[in-house]
Amino acid sequence: MLFPPDFLTRVEYLSIISKRVFRGQLLAQRRTMQMGSGIEFSDHREYNNGDDLRYLDWNIYARHGDLLLKRFQEEQDLHVYLLLDCSRSMGFGNPAKFDLARHLVAALAYIALADLDRIGIVAYADGIIAELPVTRGKARILPIMKFLEDLPTSGQDTNLEKAVQGLLHRGARTGLAVVVSDLFDEHGFQRGLDQLRYRRFDAHVIQLHDPKEADPALLGDAELVDMESESIRKVTVTERNLKAYKELFQQHQISVREYCNTYSLGCTQSPSVVRFDDLIMRMMRETGAGR
Amino acid sequence: MSLAYPFALILSVIALPIIALYILKVRLRRVPVSTNLFWKQIYEEKPPRSIWQQFRHLLSLLLQLLMLLLLMLAVADPYFSWQLLQARRIVLIIDNSASMRAADVSPSRLEAAKREAQNIVNGLRFRDQAAVVLAGETPEVLIGMTGHVPTLREVISNVAPSDLPTELNSAIALGRQLVGDQAHGQVVVLSDVCVNVPAAVDKISGEEAAASDLATDVASTALPATEDKTASTAAPEKKAEVEVQYRVFGTDSSNLGITQFQARRSLIDPVGYEILVSVQNSSFETITCRLELSLDDIPVDVVPLKLKPEEKWSRSFEKTSLEGGRLKAEITQVALQQSDPSATEKSSVVDSKSPESSGTNATLDALATDNVAWALLPGRKVQNVLIVTPGNLFLQKVFEANPLVNVSVVKEFPTGNQWPANSIVVLHGKVPEKIPDGNVLVIDPASGCDLWELGDVLENPLVTDQDKDSPLMNHIRLDNVLFPEARLLKYKSPVHSLAKTISGEDVYSQLNRPSGKCLVLSVNLDRSDLAFRTAFPIMVANALGWFSGTTGELQTSVATGSLAPLTVPLGKVPGPDPKLSGTGRYVSLFNPSGKAVQVPVSVDADGDLESGTIIAGPLNEPGIWTVQRGDAAPSVAVPTGVTSIDDNQAENVLTSIAVNLASERETDLRPNADLVALQSKSSIAENWFSRPLWYYLAFIAVVLTCVEWFLFHRRFIA
Repeated sequence: MLFPPDFLTRVEYLSIISKRVFRGQLLAQRRTMQMGSGIEFSDHREYNNGDDLRYLDWNIYARHGDLLLKRFQEEQDLHVYLLLDCSRSMGFGNPAKFDLARHLVAALAYIALADLDRIGIVAYADGIIAELPVTRGKARILPIMKFLEDLPTSGQDTNLEKAVQGLLHRGARTGLAVVVSDLFDEHGFQRGLDQLRYRRFDAHVIQLHDPKEADPALLGDAELVDMESESIRKVTVTERNLKAYKELFQQHQISVREYCNTYSLGCTQSPSVVRFDDLIMRMMRETGAGR
Repeated sequence: MSLAYPFALILSVIALPIIALYILKVRLRRVPVSTNLFWKQIYEEKPPRSIWQQFRHLLSLLLQLLMLLLLMLAVADPYFSWQLLQARRIVLIIDNSASMRAADVSPSRLEAAKREAQNIVNGLRFRDQAAVVLAGETPEVLIGMTGHVPTLREVISNVAPSDLPTELNSAIALGRQLVGDQAHGQVVVLSDVCVNVPAAVDKISGEEAAASDLATDVASTALPATEDKTASTAAPEKKAEVEVQYRVFGTDSSNLGITQFQARRSLIDPVGYEILVSVQNSSFETITCRLELSLDDIPVDVVPLKLKPEEKWSRSFEKTSLEGGRLKAEITQVALQQSDPSATEKSSVVDSKSPESSGTNATLDALATDNVAWALLPGRKVQNVLIVTPGNLFLQKVFEANPLVNVSVVKEFPTGNQWPANSIVVLHGKVPEKIPDGNVLVIDPASGCDLWELGDVLENPLVTDQDKDSPLMNHIRLDNVLFPEARLLKYKSPVHSLAKTISGEDVYSQLNRPSGKCLVLSVNLDRSDLAFRTAFPIMVANALGWFSGTTGELQTSVATGSLAPLTVPLGKVPGPDPKLSGTGRYVSLFNPSGKAVQVPVSVDADGDLESGTIIAGPLNEPGIWTVQRGDAAPSVAVPTGVTSIDDNQAENVLTSIAVNLASERETDLRPNADLVALQSKSSIAENWFSRPLWYYLAFIAVVLTCVEWFLFHRRFIA
């Protein structure tokens, strides 16, 4: 059983904690960047011909003679898209990274639904392999859990870019996009995240890894079997090779972190042996501290 | 090259499974990884399992086979033929005499000698053999010829210092015998050479002497008298070829020691005694010290001494003591005599309260063993004497003059012949029909009795024959004493004659009877001038001593390492009846440290049955050795330092003997210059390439194992 019986209890607790921690800054209570017909004033801009005269600031015109148009922030429901990596590499480890990833997706979905936001789940590997349409209401958590439980790991060539493109082609509204993956993408994880940035998605990356991936206890002659491509590589692992591997792995982790910092994306890196609620609590603390 | 154990080559079959395992393709471990993304980058530049990898595996195989070959050869123990021909037989003679205790060579002479012996043993080549001989009073082979180095090392490390004098020649002779006819034999003497052996002794072991048969004679004559016997055995013709090397451990250290310490009872004073003590200064300096004499821890005398270089000081002391005991002489407060007059005067004054003077100066007195000496002074017992005489003032006074005697004089026999117990009865003239039991001295018997019949009167007998060996006749000469009249006695049983006339008649006899000791002097005391002679009180004193069981006035202190016959009273020794068995009795001989050994008691076939004899020794530790009952527990041993013993211990102690180093040559710690000059400069100690071939093979195998171990860690999962 993927979800333990007390899973909902724990995510409900996380939901309550999230409201206390963020004090209305999380998910649905966040303001979208849409300008429109809201009631909360945002700023002024120059009047152009054709603009609705109802929004002309007459007080300013009376005082200074300038024609300025009042702008208001439009309030909309936040759309949260949870992109779950279902590639076979996510099945590595004991417990598998995939299990923690599904726990995280379910918990984040519940927190979003509890804040009256709309969530959609996109499972991807080579491309989108399964999709849960955008939905709202806490009652939808059970179908979501069922959806996640039925998800297998598959694919031979993980491609985040292709998955993001598929999401965009489906006409997804701009919102928060949370990518849960190990980011072992031979095509480059940056390209997929770039696509989200270009479409003004507020992206957050949760990168999971198994401790044995960071520090493999591997020396000597061995056949390395890639879990995704099932390709076999006969190698002689020396101390030097092992050291080089560890350096490459750390460089990969650093590159993810630097990318997110560069483009102000949320980034959480964690080994897969932690509990999902601990990880979400850590995310909350980091996010709260950053704001 | 030959192999000592060729069957070890059978180990080569182990190569088969090694090669088989190499040929067989080992299935590689399949290790699933989440992605090959990073591994691909690593191996992009260098293809995995390259030719070098394959070669390294081949190198590993070769290394393993080479290791096997080396180990196999090491077990097979190869050797060259020249190693057999050049094999040496080395005898290490380690001197552990008392002088080797000196610490002028760090940590001590003996330890330095043992260290050198260990180095020599470590330097033994393959097929070499060595033996270790201890140069004690009598040489002792600690281990015979062997090439097993660990055993030799252990034996050498177990050599303990002793308090014995140096005796090198017999050890060298024994060493030569151990070497035998071996062509490459060597005798290595590790000693401080504090011996009085002339340089010629060494020459006999050299090649010069080997050329001449006369060398053995030279050696024999060159040796001191005490070493003649050993020298004669030391230099048989063929053994003379054995090379003797000296390794000297010692410097010209100063030392002060007691070389003689004896005590005896005075011949004149019944409670007096005399002490003879000698102190030797074996140094090149003038040294001051104090000689402290004590009897049972009670100071007897303290003598400040100032001894010039090489001076030997001797003196006898006359003291008095009734009880006797353990005499101790000790040298204390050794100091260097200052050169200026004021300092000289100052140093001559002994300040016993000065803390610096409480001990001896280690640089001036390098050996502590000879600073203390012991002697035993026998005690005197008060004896009761009953004189039955019609009246002779000389006889009465000669006993009364002895402070150890309580004299009672009567004219008649006791009523009903009730003779007092524990009294010596002196019968002058009148004799009962039955001589009373116990100790009896009969002078000029006027009638016969149960022991003799009265014979004719001897006119003017002239004593010409005395038993000089009897303690009863010590210091007595009767040949110039006038005896106008004597009685001829016909004894009913054989007697021991102490003095005979020229015609063979006994005038002074010793009667052995079960009921007590009896002496008969058959001369007429009233008409003889014996009473006016000094021989008379001495004769009486000897008789009293003989009655009391005191066998001698002198209990000689013996030198360490010697054997000493001791007399023990059989009555105190449990065991079978000596009349029936004659043997089977044992006593415990305790050394000064309190350790005991069982010693059998022998009974002379023709001797009395009251005392037995033991051979104590070798007495290799200075101090007081005690002989106790055979069943005495070691806890009742009386250590040397304890001078007073309780009644329980005294009851067990049968006899004692004092043992001292008392060796002038051991006190002189300066090595013999002649032998020092002959000291060998060549080294046969440990060096490279002196080990057997298998050692190097095994060493190379270990190195290869390390290489293979490195490869192992590079190739296999830890």
